[in-house]
Amino acid sequence: MAMKKFINGPENLVSELLEGFALSHPHKIRLVGNNLVARAKPKAAGKVGVVTLGGSGHEPGLSGFVGQGMLDVSVPGEIFAAPGAPRCLEAIRLADRGAGVLFVVLNHSGDVLSANMTMTLAQREGLNVRKIVTHEDIAGGSNPEDRRGLVGFLPVYKVAGAAAERGDSLEECLKIAEGMERNTRTLAVAVTTATHPATAQPIFTLGDDEMEIGMGQHGEAGTGRMKLKTADETAELMLEMLLKDLDVRAGEDLLVIVNGAGATTLMELFIVFRRVHQVLSHKGIRLARGKVGEFITTQEQGGFQMMIARMDPELIRLWDAPCDTPYFVIC
Amino acid sequence: MMQAAARLIREQQGRLSQLDSVAGDGDHGSTMMRIMRSLEAAFNSDMPIELRKCFCDAGWKVMNSDGGASSSLLGAFFLGLGEGAREQAWWWDCTELADAFEAGLRAIQAQTRAKIGDKTLMDALAPAIEALRTAANAGQSVDDALHTAAEAAQVGAKTTETMIAHYGRARLLGEKTLGHQDAGAASVALMFQGFSQAIAETKGNAAHARW
Repeated sequence: MAMKKFINGPENLVSELLEGFALSHPHKIRLVGNNLVARAKPKAAGKVGVVTLGGSGHEPGLSGFVGQGMLDVSVPGEIFAAPGAPRCLEAIRLADRGAGVLFVVLNHSGDVLSANMTMTLAQREGLNVRKIVTHEDIAGGSNPEDRRGLVGFLPVYKVAGAAAERGDSLEECLKIAEGMERNTRTLAVAVTTATHPATAQPIFTLGDDEMEIGMGQHGEAGTGRMKLKTADETAELMLEMLLKDLDVRAGEDLLVIVNGAGATTLMELFIVFRRVHQVLSHKGIRLARGKVGEFITTQEQGGFQMMIARMDPELIRLWDAPCDTPYFVIC
Repeated sequence: MMQAAARLIREQQGRLSQLDSVAGDGDHGSTMMRIMRSLEAAFNSDMPIELRKCFCDAGWKVMNSDGGASSSLLGAFFLGLGEGAREQAWWWDCTELADAFEAGLRAIQAQTRAKIGDKTLMDALAPAIEALRTAANAGQSVDDALHTAAEAAQVGAKTTETMIAHYGRARLLGEKTLGHQDAGAASVALMFQGFSQAIAETKGNAAHARW
């Protein structure tokens, strides 16, 4: 089927989307330098900056979370492709308010390569940067390096951003981010493909009656292709895998995020979330905080990501701290 | 030479994206076009160019073309190649060519642990550079060296059909990647083919070829 998207052409896709994004949130963000997304009002001097990078086409991820209490600068790449090291370096210089910069990287080959190169260049310049790689997709297997970074970036941005905002040092911010990341697990399921907006090609194929658990953010193949199940069956299956991997016990507090991939309706996401709540109550696990919505998408892909994170009182406090970004507000 | 390489990549853009769609998101062709435009821009001069400066500039431009893993790796390669080249050189003899390309290979190896056999661009790049060194040691001309390097890259790219991916997004597909060439290796083979063709067109007068 031919691609049906409201675009003007593949060449200027990213710059046009960034322009519109910035114009629609003029009080929160602005475009700076070489298409970097930065806070409209920079953070006070002496506080740690938080920077991230990632391909475009996943809106509102990742630049939708630039603003007070979360990210200072985001470096958007081309469609589904990491930005290069030179722009990341520019972002780090921009975010450095004298207390160093925390660089949050989602574990995807291109992003990691760019980030490593950026760290080399930053060190040459004597910049104070620490890097954290998020890898919480349990479909990657037991080796952490094979686990991709999915929606688990959100709590990491949130707690690290809150810590930075209250004036924690770079080492403290890194420790908090790492603690959050270690306690987060995500699993994705896909039911329909997305079209790559620049090539107009579907990024994977799935049978009409099939779903695939473990599908990546770009349609990278997962491992569990099966006949389509109901919302409850799918939620149970995925939640069981997540709880087992994180080794969650009765009495613990969880943050749960159900993230729509782009074409799956809020109606469906709520039905899934409701089942998660039921199963957790039954097991005596507390759903301390929850979020349902689209935080990172893949065009019109159908499916969702289910994320769980073990929370302690400190992480809950940082999660609840105020933030004001285009697509995540806590007041 | 960059123009000839860019022409081949442009002609094969569709095939490269097709190869990438087996395990990736099917945009390798357009990514490579951005990379080749960056390379062409760095070498776009009718005047003789200082190769060290040009390759460093090219590496930086490629890295900045936002082409994900490909632009980080190829950017590191050309930057390393430039940094490894002799200063004030406007043309390389065969040994200098091999020295520079080997420096590029080391730079890319500092960024990725992918080895020969992992079904990545390394499967085309490493044999091509090895061929350059062998040709240099045998006292061959730059024409012949680039010709054998292009052949080695092509054979290397072809062998990726029989491999299972161990790196990048493709590794998650495992055996499903069998029977398909790695898109990155195919691109590297095309680049070397372009270099070799451009040199051949100078009919034995390699020093007249423009990078």
